Amino acid sequence: MALIRGRDRGTGAAIFTASMADIVFLLIVFFVLTYKVEVDKTQMNLPETWVRKKVPEKAAVISISPPDKGSTIRVSTGEEMALPVSTIEEVITFASTEVAKNPNREFILKADKDSPYGTVDEVLDALKQSKVKYIYLLSEQLTADEG
Amino acid sequence: MNIKKKDIASEIFTGSMADISFLLIIYFMITSAFSATRGLDFALPEETDTPEIKQEDSIEVHVMSGGAIEVDKKDLPLDGLLPYVLEKLLQNPEKPVILRTDPDATYGDMISVFDRLRRANEEWTEPIEGSEERRALYKDVKGNDLTEIKTISIPTQREIENIWNLLGMG
Repeated sequence: MALIRGRDRGTGAAIFTASMADIVFLLIVFFVLTYKVEVDKTQMNLPETWVRKKVPEKAAVISISPPDKGSTIRVSTGEEMALPVSTIEEVITFASTEVAKNPNREFILKADKDSPYGTVDEVLDALKQSKVKYIYLLSEQLTADEG
Repeated sequence: MNIKKKDIASEIFTGSMADISFLLIIYFMITSAFSATRGLDFALPEETDTPEIKQEDSIEVHVMSGGAIEVDKKDLPLDGLLPYVLEKLLQNPEKPVILRTDPDATYGDMISVFDRLRRANEEWTEPIEGSEERRALYKDVKGNDLTEIKTISIPTQREIENIWNLLGMG
């Protein structure tokens, strides 16, 4: 029997893709489960703290934009996008309405670290007047060398 | 006559599945929020008309513009805050700490001092091996464990003015 030389034997050069579907669906499931809409997209430098507690999900959010962006106050119920308010009375009205629905309603205060404390003080005062009980001051992790 | 059975193709077309899947992945990756989900918790007291805290019974921390602090009217570096508070609380563990911030100071200045006060629990205790609990390093005059600052009060400018008015200093 003659041996044919130089003939292409057709060695398989395909990439194995059968597990791709599993990996892709795993990623989809991960993103679906961890999916959370950010109610306030204001870019800011949060203050850094050593002590950090997990903030409750769906808590109402009050954000104060950085001074170079006008220190605008925005409020959100935690489910809808944050809306700007023009006066501190509107914050009181918003917080009072939320507290009336649930007396133990939690609030997240998201403010830039360079915001003047006077503005933050007004918001804290509005929350106190609205009988809010729990506030979370949103922060970034402070690392050991900074502390 | 023999009738040949026709083979009907019964395949589900999966050629576009990869495209749809990657489209979904990209959508969720872009819209998913990787925002900060942690912060300092802070419970507000019930609003009362009369001040409960007498000034001489408390430790007053004053955050000034620029981030410098005054504790009981004396300048103190931030690192000296917890040792000072510890010394006072060992004598009277019920002493509240009042954190007052100048309106001209930044929010970051106030948070760094508040965070330092909240760190007391970590600094005044040590971990117990093989347990998640922590052991107190100090005991107060009554022999009870001192593990944290029981009350940290952050009065607002309006409340401070109300107190001054009540004291006839407004």
